[in-house]
Amino acid sequence: MKMTSTLLAVVLATAAGSAMAYSGTNCKEPGVCWEPKPGYPEKVAGTRYDPKHDPAELSKQSKSIEAMNQRNKQRWQHLKKTGKFVYDVDEIGG
Amino acid sequence: MKIKQSLSLSGAVGVALLSGATALQANEGLVRLSQDDSNWVMPTKDYSATHYSKLDQINTANVKNLKVAWSFSTGVLHGHEGGPLVVNDIMYINTPFPNTVYALDLDDPNKVLWEYKPKQSPAARAVACCDVVNRGVAYAPAEAGKPAKIFLGQLDGNLVALDAKSGEEVWKMEVCDIRVGATITQAPFVVKDKVLVGCSGAELGVRGYVSAFNIHDGKMEWRAYATGPDEDILLSEKFNEQTPQYGRFGLGLKTWEGDAWKIGGGTNWGWYAYDPKLDRIYYGSGNPAPWNETMRPGDNKWTMTIWSRDPDTGEAYFGYQKTPHDEWDYAGVNWMALTEQRVNGKKVPLLTHPDRNGIIYSLNRDTGELVRADKLDDTVNWVKYVDLKTGQPVRDPEYSTRMDHQAKNICPSAMGYHNQGVDSYDPEKGLFFLGLNHICMDWEPFMLPYRAGQFFVGATLNMYPGPKGVMGFVRAYDAKTGEYKWTVPEKFSVWGGTLATKGDLVFYGTLDGWIKALDSRSGDELWKFKLPSGVIGHPVTYEHNGKQYLAIYYGVGGWPGVGLVFDLKDPSAGLGAVGAFKELAHYTKMGGGVMVFALDET
Repeated sequence: MKMTSTLLAVVLATAAGSAMAYSGTNCKEPGVCWEPKPGYPEKVAGTRYDPKHDPAELSKQSKSIEAMNQRNKQRWQHLKKTGKFVYDVDEIGG
Repeated sequence: MKIKQSLSLSGAVGVALLSGATALQANEGLVRLSQDDSNWVMPTKDYSATHYSKLDQINTANVKNLKVAWSFSTGVLHGHEGGPLVVNDIMYINTPFPNTVYALDLDDPNKVLWEYKPKQSPAARAVACCDVVNRGVAYAPAEAGKPAKIFLGQLDGNLVALDAKSGEEVWKMEVCDIRVGATITQAPFVVKDKVLVGCSGAELGVRGYVSAFNIHDGKMEWRAYATGPDEDILLSEKFNEQTPQYGRFGLGLKTWEGDAWKIGGGTNWGWYAYDPKLDRIYYGSGNPAPWNETMRPGDNKWTMTIWSRDPDTGEAYFGYQKTPHDEWDYAGVNWMALTEQRVNGKKVPLLTHPDRNGIIYSLNRDTGELVRADKLDDTVNWVKYVDLKTGQPVRDPEYSTRMDHQAKNICPSAMGYHNQGVDSYDPEKGLFFLGLNHICMDWEPFMLPYRAGQFFVGATLNMYPGPKGVMGFVRAYDAKTGEYKWTVPEKFSVWGGTLATKGDLVFYGTLDGWIKALDSRSGDELWKFKLPSGVIGHPVTYEHNGKQYLAIYYGVGGWPGVGLVFDLKDPSAGLGAVGAFKELAHYTKMGGGVMVFALDET
């Protein structure tokens, strides 16, 4: 077991005033019990563990869901109106 | 290609009877059908998910005379999860991708009544983490001039309603988008006039949600997410009012750093239960994404959570997070069983749930209060114990995972001490029969970017048998005392779940291709039969023309089978499963079909 950032670990652990490892029992409030492990940051942004997520990538799922919902709405409304189910929304729109 | 044939006489009578009862809500119709042991109307058998049958024609005295009555090949390889449904003398069979559905008339099972063969983009296969499995179809009875329906979730993310009589498509909606890595492997679940389904894809950073659609026209009624703002998670004003120690509002954002919750996992692809009296549904949300814990500081709520929701609005009454800030991929989607128990002298409506994390939880399903949290095996080491008062697991830092560190000998492994199998509960004995895994692991995370549609795991694993030297157990558990009445070791994981019957029997299939029957009082093995391929689904039983039958899928695959299915050799491939199950290929090969057993009358 070797920590590559030993120096950082020591500094952070000292700063926190405790080398107590994360046991999940020190809750800030109900349901908020996470703590950084000794040597690891409280926030990852700006550290070597920064995930650097691209906001454009993060928004792709909600956009896709919105588009599916729109198409589905056309489908069930058409089914309700005509009694016939059509999956291809181009056929419904046209 | 559709094969049409008129219904059998008994089937037609069944349908006619149901159509006559037009005022029945679908759920009441389903409740009635599920109480008739000639049927098996949902993968969990009934809303309480007991997997228990009152049929006892096959029992401990004669089970040795079980013989193959008939069989059916699905024409598809890969893992066959779930089990067939039997309703009004018709058997409905689901397959892995491309998710073909077959209907067989039990009066003449040699002829296919109808088949539905979806045309799906083959690209769906590339975003399935763990083989192209499918956990089964759902059924809704006929009502008010509307036909009985079969519901199918396709791997490509479409949810389809089929006419149960003809196999004709009634409607089909897009639920999960494979272009962002979201698929469907879950069996849909019918409650009242709604059908529920969740997505898979936490291994590709998919933010989990469960959606409810009107069974008649496919209109979406509600959608509840696992992470993010409270309004997305659909929290009721009463959320965790009786269990405030679990946390209440704002935590779907607060327990994440920045926007990480948008790709935070929590997909639900396991099983549901429903209590008609309380009018609540129950299910578990899955693991947070990515597996690399260092990239997502915080408790990561509400992934890994046992949910209680209103089926009409989707609003949550309680949510208990089992594994805060998961570090091991203990996806919290497993079986939920509803039972009535007397605990400490008090009658409690219980929800019991054997989780991946090696703890079997029992909650008061009305209030959400934790009643018990027992280890599935004494070798569980990431957690010392669960504090029943706070609900918090007391973690052992020695078995945590983190960047720049290879953690060793963590038990359970990411495959869990329990996975997707639907287990059983015998109400007369007060015992749960659990199919368990015994696998541990080494784990080291690595940094990686998120790109929608690509895998977002970020950990290298090695898995191996647990300290007891086998990879699985079948165990009888008493939730009143937390004691195990008996334990039977298995060479491989018991992946597919169990079936219990009034005949004092527990049936289950094994990865190495056996179907077995144990005496449910002692665990003694009374019968076994070698199937063409390994089993990852559950046995079902039903009655037809006065005779009890036992049916099970064969066709190995799923996560334990990925090595032999995709011909992988690197032990850390298949998210670490290849090494653990390297011996499986010496015992079984792929297959796909149903085997049906009955007592030999000669």
